[in-house]
Amino acid sequence: MVGDSSKNWMDDWLSAQQSYWKSWADLTQRGMQAPAAPRNPWAEGIDQWWRAVAPMTPPAGRDVFDKLMDLSRGYFSMAERYVADSGGAEKGMDVINGWFENMQQTWTDWMHGGMHPDDRMKGLMTFWDLPLDTWNRLSASLMPMPGDFTQAFHPEGAQAGLRGQVNRFLSIPAVGYTRESQEQYQRLAQLMMDYGNALQAYQMAFGTLAVQTTQDFQAAIRDNAKEGKTFTSLREVYDQWVEVSEAAYARFVMTRDYQELYGRLVNTLIAVKHQMARMVDQGLEALHMPTHAEISTLQCRQQELRRENLRLRKEIQDIHAQLEAMRQRAIQPEPEAPAKAAMARPAPAKSAAKPSGKSMSARAPVKSAAKAAGTKTTANKAGGGRK
Amino acid sequence: MNFDMRPDAVMQELMGYSQKLAHGVRNLSEVGEISSGVSPKTPVYSEDKLTLYRFDPPKDKIPGRTPLLIVYALVNRPYMTDIQENRSTVKGLMDAGQDVYLIDWGYPDRADRYLTLDDYINGYIDRCVDVMCQRHKVDKINILGICQGGTMSLCYAALHPDKVKNLVTMVTPVDFQTPDNMLSHWVQQVDIDMLVDTLGNVPGEMLNWTFLNLKPYQLMGQKYLGLLDTLDDPDALKNFLRMEKWIFDSPDQAGETFRQFIKDFYQGNKLLKGGLEIGAPVSLKNVTMPVLNIYAEQDHLVPPDASRALRGQVGSRDYTELSFPGGHIGIYVSGKAQKTVPPAIGKWLDERA
Repeated sequence: MVGDSSKNWMDDWLSAQQSYWKSWADLTQRGMQAPAAPRNPWAEGIDQWWRAVAPMTPPAGRDVFDKLMDLSRGYFSMAERYVADSGGAEKGMDVINGWFENMQQTWTDWMHGGMHPDDRMKGLMTFWDLPLDTWNRLSASLMPMPGDFTQAFHPEGAQAGLRGQVNRFLSIPAVGYTRESQEQYQRLAQLMMDYGNALQAYQMAFGTLAVQTTQDFQAAIRDNAKEGKTFTSLREVYDQWVEVSEAAYARFVMTRDYQELYGRLVNTLIAVKHQMARMVDQGLEALHMPTHAEISTLQCRQQELRRENLRLRKEIQDIHAQLEAMRQRAIQPEPEAPAKAAMARPAPAKSAAKPSGKSMSARAPVKSAAKAAGTKTTANKAGGGRK
Repeated sequence: MNFDMRPDAVMQELMGYSQKLAHGVRNLSEVGEISSGVSPKTPVYSEDKLTLYRFDPPKDKIPGRTPLLIVYALVNRPYMTDIQENRSTVKGLMDAGQDVYLIDWGYPDRADRYLTLDDYINGYIDRCVDVMCQRHKVDKINILGICQGGTMSLCYAALHPDKVKNLVTMVTPVDFQTPDNMLSHWVQQVDIDMLVDTLGNVPGEMLNWTFLNLKPYQLMGQKYLGLLDTLDDPDALKNFLRMEKWIFDSPDQAGETFRQFIKDFYQGNKLLKGGLEIGAPVSLKNVTMPVLNIYAEQDHLVPPDASRALRGQVGSRDYTELSFPGGHIGIYVSGKAQKTVPPAIGKWLDERA
């Protein structure tokens, strides 16, 4: 629960922000250049505030607020950038154009030289990074390695010359007692290189998309200007940016190029994990411990046994139902009707089975057998796939 | 110039932003437990991780003779159909006179890795149908399949037409390769065999991030800024958190089922093109019972054309389509959907009782 102490925290924070911004506003309203401030002071301020308050909030909803704070940092950075660049003057369009140029330059530099954005641009790039951020979180969750090892990959690694040299090094035949182990590590290193290359290609494509989106955004703003629309708040700018970004993204991810990039990215990542699992299994085997592959085989056999068990249980149920129907017929007193009529009456098997609620199970063992045959086929296929 | 953003106004905007955040944190502390699945229900059958529930019929209503089974997707939790008091498809169906059952698939773990579609459809679903038939002393029941659960229901109806009286499919993919299907486009070059052989079960988190990437800027960014506008309202905040809980509550997928679903449906499009086998050959021509196919016009997960492809494919002459002006989630939870979709299903079923 948020108690009195956190309430004080929030009030203090709000009042500090209020006076800080008031000072800035006074300066800008007077047309004065704002004094040099620490980098991203607002974004950092909100960060500090959340770090202080978060432990006091209930777990329900903390994830949501964490996401909101991630976004808020980017949003505040955007505002800081705007206010700092405006220098107190009313030249919004110039500032926005400055952003565009900076963003394009940042992405271009990053793609060509591996330059990382400076801290101030980094806040803005939070927005642009969303699809890549998703992938980074996902790949990190699939990897047994601590943190995100892909951070070690840099675009310069994609240069063919260096890659070729590393490939040649990794192709050196392994020798000696540890030959097999060496080969496994060489294979792993090769697969990690492949993944690194796939990731870089993916990131480069998103860099190109970011530049394209920036251009689309500028065009959208020009169109708005022609229609006489005016942006009066950051939120309007942000919403417009989201609309343009989604449209550019949707076009890009439906291309054949993206399909190939994505397929390669997933396949190379899984190949790394596959090789790691294989190496772990070899270690476990050496220690006489159950391996992943062995447990998987047991799981497969267990499932086959369960299917077989269910099929047999159903057959037994069907047989019971048939026996019960026969028993009912046997104990029913002979009707007093003339013998001729009784002989002409059809066998009441179906209606006798119904009251006991077994009509479904009485649906013939033939069908169960057919099902079982089908089940077996699928199970075989599954086993085949595993090999 | 079309930018009229004075720096002082921007700072004022941020001040408001901060105030909303601070109030939001206060409201967050008072939200309490985020409940989901509001209508009373009774478990009537369970097997492995699965539970079959019957929703307790309202005391003032006598439900129809033929019960209705909701088959939900494997990829999310089924409480979306009953997420809160005023947003409950289940409640709407009961108000429309239906006797509603629902399969909760539970959370598969690694011991379930070798469950196949055959196990799910000819095993779990079939046994649930048998239980319902026995409880109600009927030979056939009505089925409402939702999303992937709709595809599974179609397969079930094709394999067991003698047990399905009426079939309702909701936001159900049939053609998995329409040109606007992003998920399908992405997965075409993924090596599913290696993925399943390596991961075993496919983590729910992986699917979740994939779904979010369909509209990353909206679903991972703008949505949370939108939350700012409702932080002052504790009820709205609670509703948001409830939806958020559902979105990130994704069970892992049994590996073999995932393998077959992606390869046969997304990569092979076999439900439409033919060649699908789930224990036995599956042909939509065997779907001979009346079919009501409901789709959402702004569905980003299952494009309308993917659902509409069912027309002309089933063997039934009694085929009806119902379009809903909304999205994949809105069709269960929006106010408009509550007023239109469940009553329409109830009416359609009553006409075929």
